[in-house]
Amino acid sequence: MNESNTNTLMIETPEQVYTNFEESLDQFKTATDLTKLQKATSMMSQVEQLSHTHRGLEFLFEKCLELEDAGIFKDTVWEFPQKQVPSLVKGTLLSGHPNSSFEILSELRILSYALGKDGRTHISSNESKSFLEEAVVHNLEFAYDELTEATRLKITPQERRKLVNHFQFLLSKAELNGIKERLVEEIKMICEQRPVVTQNVRNLIQTTYQKLVLDEKSEIDNKLQYYVDAIYFPAPIVKRYQKFGNYKKALARANKETLEIEATVMGNYLHETGLTNPYLAMLLCFLMEKNPVLVNNLLHLNSKGISEWERYRDVARELALKTFSEFNHAGIYGFKGILEKSLFSRRAVRAGLTNLKHISIHPEVERRILKSVMEPSEKVLAKQYLMGAVIGILGQPTGVGQGNNPTCQSARGISMWAQHTPAELINMITIVTSTNNLVLRFENHELESMKLVKGLVGELDHNLDAVSVVLIPHLDKIYNEMMNRSSNRGDDPHRWTNPAFYGSLVPVGFASPYSYLTKRIENFRNFIRLFYNVFHPLYNGGRELVYPIPVGIFITTSKGDMLGFHAVSLLRVAQNKKNNEYRAYFLNPNNEGRQDWGQNIRPSVYDNGEKHGESSLPFYQFIARAYAFHFNNLIAENQNEPVPEEEIEKVEKLAKESWGRSYQWSN
Amino acid sequence: MSKCFALMGWSLPVIESMQKTGKPFVVVSFPDFEPYAKENNIPFLSYPLNEWSDTSNSWDLHEKLKAFNVDVAVPLFEETVEWAGALNSIYRDDPRVLNRAFLFRNKAIMKRKALIGGLRVGLFEEIYNREDVKKFMKRLNEANLQLEGESDSWVHIKPFASAGTVGHRLLRSFDDIDNKVEDGDFPCLAESHLSGSEFSCEGFVHKGKLRWLNITEYVRLGHSNFIPEGNYLHEKRSKIWEMNQKMIDIFGIEFGMVHPEWFLDENDNLNFGETACRIPGGHILELASKAYDFDALAAFVMAHDPSLTEEEFDAMFPPKDARPENFYGNVMIYPRKDKIEKLEIPQELQEEPYFLDHNLVPPLTTQKINSREGFGNHFGTVNFKGEDPDRMRELLLHYDDVDFYI
Repeated sequence: MNESNTNTLMIETPEQVYTNFEESLDQFKTATDLTKLQKATSMMSQVEQLSHTHRGLEFLFEKCLELEDAGIFKDTVWEFPQKQVPSLVKGTLLSGHPNSSFEILSELRILSYALGKDGRTHISSNESKSFLEEAVVHNLEFAYDELTEATRLKITPQERRKLVNHFQFLLSKAELNGIKERLVEEIKMICEQRPVVTQNVRNLIQTTYQKLVLDEKSEIDNKLQYYVDAIYFPAPIVKRYQKFGNYKKALARANKETLEIEATVMGNYLHETGLTNPYLAMLLCFLMEKNPVLVNNLLHLNSKGISEWERYRDVARELALKTFSEFNHAGIYGFKGILEKSLFSRRAVRAGLTNLKHISIHPEVERRILKSVMEPSEKVLAKQYLMGAVIGILGQPTGVGQGNNPTCQSARGISMWAQHTPAELINMITIVTSTNNLVLRFENHELESMKLVKGLVGELDHNLDAVSVVLIPHLDKIYNEMMNRSSNRGDDPHRWTNPAFYGSLVPVGFASPYSYLTKRIENFRNFIRLFYNVFHPLYNGGRELVYPIPVGIFITTSKGDMLGFHAVSLLRVAQNKKNNEYRAYFLNPNNEGRQDWGQNIRPSVYDNGEKHGESSLPFYQFIARAYAFHFNNLIAENQNEPVPEEEIEKVEKLAKESWGRSYQWSN
Repeated sequence: MSKCFALMGWSLPVIESMQKTGKPFVVVSFPDFEPYAKENNIPFLSYPLNEWSDTSNSWDLHEKLKAFNVDVAVPLFEETVEWAGALNSIYRDDPRVLNRAFLFRNKAIMKRKALIGGLRVGLFEEIYNREDVKKFMKRLNEANLQLEGESDSWVHIKPFASAGTVGHRLLRSFDDIDNKVEDGDFPCLAESHLSGSEFSCEGFVHKGKLRWLNITEYVRLGHSNFIPEGNYLHEKRSKIWEMNQKMIDIFGIEFGMVHPEWFLDENDNLNFGETACRIPGGHILELASKAYDFDALAAFVMAHDPSLTEEEFDAMFPPKDARPENFYGNVMIYPRKDKIEKLEIPQELQEEPYFLDHNLVPPLTTQKINSREGFGNHFGTVNFKGEDPDRMRELLLHYDDVDFYI
């Protein structure tokens, strides 16, 4: 399936290219700033031509520092090798020439530094290796020529050849020993967030399994093996009987002790990684009928979960048996979550799930659901995929992500509702699934999504969970319409839109330092002070956050430059047990675990007291990137515990020196 | 030596070339360019060249340029030709310089001058409405002894004062007159079709004498060309040189560069198309620079300097009889579809030994293309280099037909 005879696709670069390139390079060197950019564009067409063959790459590799010195990267995003972001590499490469050509050249340049060569920038050999290792980890499919279906659909065979050549070239030149380490980190980081959609991490693990040789004497390799086992060999009987049919038969033959071991071992993997596998589904269904008590082990349930499973066995079993199978198992971790949150105890949730099971799916919605599944099986109905996703979302509300879409507002909504108003969410899903339509109220109007034309999203990228794929097209349009209707009111439209969209969970009070009237940042200090008085336990009377608070933040580059706006939800403010520092714990729908927002502001996703799916930052750093938040103004009026001036100054300085440079300030 | 050149119009490549010569210059152009000029230490005078009024005219500009010691004006673009002419007529104390500038700016006047001077031109006329076009075509048919059922004689219509191929329409029949012509096209110049292979010359003139000549072979007007000329045209070089000199004499051109378009027919006659005196389109001077290994842009500017001696002038150019080994050509890429989403460079181009480079970039998400009869701005250029002019021609014809934007 993967290996067509790619040698026939080899492009034969003519000899002239090499001499032409030398001439172009000479001209480029003598060009002044006036025509440099224009000449760079022409040069890059030759770089692209050369990047198709190994010999061409070799040639470019020899020349790349010379090119860097001549200024080819000047005034581009590739100017500083230290600021390159590994997680952006794939998207850049897939976007084609000239970006992909610049990226390839940039990486060859970083490779040179990794090998200790000396050039005009001062990036260390270690930093360079680090970057390359991470870039390779993010592009394992090219490094090992094992393309995912999604990627294969996006590129031509020539482009594939070029990218595979490139990564294999990198691997052949540098001893990137740290790749496995980076790989483990990446996998761990994704798993820690317990995402509902696990396709990316599965791809990494699959490539690891198929292409890397793991040595059991190495600690890192063992860690990788652990993840491989979590998906492929999660328990003793699985190791002996991998074929599904044989596994089922082996289960039937097994005695109680063996089953208990099987369930417990598998349950450990599930609990530790959040990753599911086909055997988990088979064993779950088997145990539910034959040995329900062992379900406690298999799902590694805590005491709440155990008692929920005991009390609502029938309802839960029916739901699981109707939904899960070896071909549809992703939602089982969510199922564990539902039990542990005692969701079956809520009549409204039970009723809602029953209703959902009985409706018929609108054909357009069905099409979308199936499109969201990587390799849909004919043995699974769209309804089952949907139910699996519903279970996933209800059980892992902070695992909701926006995927590759600009739909952070809708994603945080789904997460919020799953967490606090699950029955309402199920109701919404039921309506949209059967009618492909949704009506939400805004002020005295009813906004019907079918009648609206524009959302933020043109073409939805379907690498999402089935619930998001069903709801987002509607939510996005409605949100956009609400924003439109809230514009031209002299203030940030979010002020009215968020309470209407998210519901009564979100308080109507709204704070933002940007004045639409003066077009400046006004009273920023008051903004900071208010944030402390509302959310920080030391200054708000010790109150805890109950419901998620929508917060608008500035996204900044690793240099602190303003990039754009993003929507997150503030979930908790608490002390990090490690160092007693107060941190803000928030939901970031873009699931990018390793972001660098400049000024040392780097949100983390584990190891700093985060619950699964939360990102966190020291409190003062979080507010330094916020531009708007909601709060309960009645309570806030009573809060005036003094916030230390140094704290406020610290935040203001960070803000002014980063995104603040793109704005006018009033004081 | 000239004290200072006034470059009329904004062009970064020309500015860079002038900087390298070290000769003093000042750029005259619209205020939008002033910030960039300041930032990059480019001598600049901001002037509303699109306005001609009491406050915005050549006398006023002349005054303002005194601060820079300007004594020669060089037109870079079509719209700056009369400004340069007006200034130079003051600098050379010769009113006819301005008149000559107007020759270039009105194709009808230009053609009449050529006709009077004895150049071969076709039939031409100033046209004010659709009916006139039809009458013109009818007269042409008569003159060409058209029989019943034979196709009509082709008629070209062009605006009087536009650069290159802007607004140019080719009408092959009376139906075309009905369908292709728009009311906004009038008044315009109508011309009979000149047969023969079309090519252009870039002739550099000093004290009324042609001192150096480049011939650009056109493969497809407005789309592709190459330099130097192919072997067939090369054989006709002395004849072409002669005709260019004749044109220069007729028009009374003394300094600078002329860019005439000629048609060479089967009987070796050269028919005159039209001529310009500003920097040619199609990246012609860039191609010439590469082919002959000299800075054609700098030479263009300095050729306007009346104070140069013959030796100094000749020194700016390659030898008169230079015949480069390599031919440099290009194809200007226009998207052929109405809606484009992607840039795709064909594999065959990547493997083509004559391929030199390109500057094509992907479209901005999904772009709609304005379709216009005539020529709009091209999206980018693909450059070629090779030893065989016939092969070059083949390639340029081929790649003109390939979809780079899909």
